[in-house]
Amino acid sequence: MPLKEIGLMLLALVVIAAVGHLWFHTVEGLLEKIKGLLLRRPPQPWHPLPEEPEEEEKTDRGEGGGD
Amino acid sequence: MGFFGKLFKGPEIDQAKSDANAKKMRLLFNQVVEDGDSYRLIFGYTEDVSRFNYGFVHGSKTKIGNLIVGWNEDRQTIVAVPTVPDLSGCGEPTYYRRGEILKAYRNKYPTDAFVIYPDKRGYIAINAYDWLEDEKLYVYVSQEAELAAFTDFFMHRFATK
Repeated sequence: MPLKEIGLMLLALVVIAAVGHLWFHTVEGLLEKIKGLLLRRPPQPWHPLPEEPEEEEKTDRGEGGGD
Repeated sequence: MGFFGKLFKGPEIDQAKSDANAKKMRLLFNQVVEDGDSYRLIFGYTEDVSRFNYGFVHGSKTKIGNLIVGWNEDRQTIVAVPTVPDLSGCGEPTYYRRGEILKAYRNKYPTDAFVIYPDKRGYIAINAYDWLEDEKLYVYVSQEAELAAFTDFFMHRFATK
């Protein structure tokens, strides 16, 4: 088989895979939206990480400030 | 250790990072669970695998849900708190009390998971490992001893016959 035909075949396979993925993401996206509309759930409360308690007060104030 | 020794040793745990994350897990857990300090903690995760087949294109899509899992041996209770890999926050806790659940067992196939059925309608399958390197997907924490303790608790004091 000439190289040109092999190249065209590979290109066709790449296009098929790309279109397939595009189709998959379109369908999945639509399904997610429909599910979201039909099964509306109240947003779950979210708790951010609390501030860490301040480290023990440094007794040596001159530490690291020598210059 | 020589170059090849290091090369074949595999990934090493960053203990400082692991300790910092363990601390964050504790802060988050204690924030949402009453008397949080009475629970021991591990990191676990759930997997939601959906398979698809659109003609030429088929495969699977996996959604990972990170959890801070706490257990209290005296109360025979497991608490699951949803979180994110960077531990920037957490959701509401879900309590699984042994006296209230339908059944619980350790699954070996297709994945090694701790399965709890709170009722007939649904279940939760908690996966847990000593350490998972991928910090984009999982909480980076080394937990060999804690996981062994949780496994012992689950198998001997929580799982239903």
